[in-house]
Amino acid sequence: MENESHGMMWIFAGLNLIFLCCAGGLLFFLIFESYPIFKLQGFGFWLGQDWWVGEAYGALPMLYGSSLVTALACLLVLPLALAVAIFTSEFLTSTSRRCVKAVLELLAGVPGIVYGLLGVSFLSLWIKDVFGLLDGNTLATAGCLLAIMILPTVLTLSEDAMRAVPSEYRDNALGLGLSKWQVATAVVLPQAMPGIMGAVLLGIGRAMGETIAVMLVVGGLDRIPDPWFNIFSSAQTIPSKLGREAAESIGEATHWSALMALGLTLFIMVLLINFIGNRFLKRRSIS
Amino acid sequence: MFRVLLFLWVAIGVIPFPASADHSPKIEIVGSTTVLPIASRAAERFEKVERVEKNKSSHRLRILVNAGGSGVGIHSVAKGRSDIGMASREISPSERKRFEGSHLKVHTVGVDAVACVISSEIYDAGIHDLTRQEIRHIYLGKIQNWKEVGGPDRKIVVVDKERHRGTRHAFMKFIFGNPIAKTPGTILVTGSNNEEQTKIAQSDSAIGMLSSAWINDEVRAIGIRDKKNIANPTRETIRKGNYPIVRNLSFITAGEPTGEIKAFLEFLKSPEGQQVVEESGYIPFT
Repeated sequence: MENESHGMMWIFAGLNLIFLCCAGGLLFFLIFESYPIFKLQGFGFWLGQDWWVGEAYGALPMLYGSSLVTALACLLVLPLALAVAIFTSEFLTSTSRRCVKAVLELLAGVPGIVYGLLGVSFLSLWIKDVFGLLDGNTLATAGCLLAIMILPTVLTLSEDAMRAVPSEYRDNALGLGLSKWQVATAVVLPQAMPGIMGAVLLGIGRAMGETIAVMLVVGGLDRIPDPWFNIFSSAQTIPSKLGREAAESIGEATHWSALMALGLTLFIMVLLINFIGNRFLKRRSIS
Repeated sequence: MFRVLLFLWVAIGVIPFPASADHSPKIEIVGSTTVLPIASRAAERFEKVERVEKNKSSHRLRILVNAGGSGVGIHSVAKGRSDIGMASREISPSERKRFEGSHLKVHTVGVDAVACVISSEIYDAGIHDLTRQEIRHIYLGKIQNWKEVGGPDRKIVVVDKERHRGTRHAFMKFIFGNPIAKTPGTILVTGSNNEEQTKIAQSDSAIGMLSSAWINDEVRAIGIRDKKNIANPTRETIRKGNYPIVRNLSFITAGEPTGEIKAFLEFLKSPEGQQVVEESGYIPFT
């Protein structure tokens, strides 16, 4: 028995190593493939605003579009997710809670293309009509669509985090005479905060990487909106750019390298957000 | 425990191999969404003909047709990722140079017109033709409102296509004299003909470019005006050569085609294949 568990441990350690190598290999591959464009344009790649295949490759519009769309999605999702998570976790009976969770988890598994098609056929038209726009394919549409897409994930994980707060905390607080509402917001919510942050980070990761749904509604225009905060204009995100141009560029040295550099940028952005999120969580838990 | 795991591992790893062996011949076609209707229709008929002729169910020919755009079609056939590429434009000099080693061969099967299209609302409001100059100014952002060209007071939604698309090459070559012209007036960028058709239909003040086979009641083609002459993209004018924006629809192979691929391309050029071209909404190439 002792021997067997020892063998298992080695297998698990080996698997662990394989996954580590995969992540490292991916990063290495991206850096290697995008090296030519950085050699050609230097860090100006991130500051350039023009993307003309064969002439110049500037990533700023895509960087901007990705950041803005993700920020929009987060802004829309956070209050909604918190409200519903508090209600589901603290105020619903366990049967109805399970129903809500089942539906949410079902929604979380719907593929991006389905949301994308719904976005093209309904959301973009609604947004166009509601805001009286020239056209419905905008950053705002993409942000809303992403918010809808990541809502189930963020919600169900936030709710899990809140359920994970030990019931003694609630009982004690109730025993001290706090109302149910106070218990939920002043006791459970702060305790669950790290978990909720984790849920949001996961949501951000999905929002940043979402390709097809965004591609269909964002407008595909490689230009920073004018003025820059105009969320009702078309723009471009990194994954959408990759989706539109990758197939055409395979084997074409500079173009491919520029696209890989975009991929690398996205990779770094997600890493940075996770890193900042972790730092933020640590500081909170110490204080 | 360990032995069970090992057994499962081996079992899962080994079982799929015999099942995945598949030796029936297969032709993969990738590229232009304009040529795609011809390819998929022809593929269906050709498979039927093959089956009758050879009468061997074990060796059924399968033809897989995928979209992607002319640029993707030329790329994938040159790189050996597909057997036949579809293109609705010429192979550009830079592509010729890059894929010199692949000996790309073009098999033209039909002719298509690229129409300048507008939303039906604008068409109904009285705009039925534009000059080359006007279209150029719209795409440059110098004309931003329909009233400047005699239409209603509404901003123009300028729809462009991805830069490698064949339809864009033909259109921009005529409008700007440069197939890869820059268009600062653009508001939306789309990919396939279907995508562009949908976006223009959803808008009530859009202008764009589409293959003539995609024109319908929601997306109306307008004429190109040159002094007093107006050329509309009708079958008649295209056939007579009176419409200015036409391009060849082609299938591309790397080197001389052989075997099944050769047979398929010959089928496309035969009267029956040309019938398919006609049915798809294009002009047969003769």
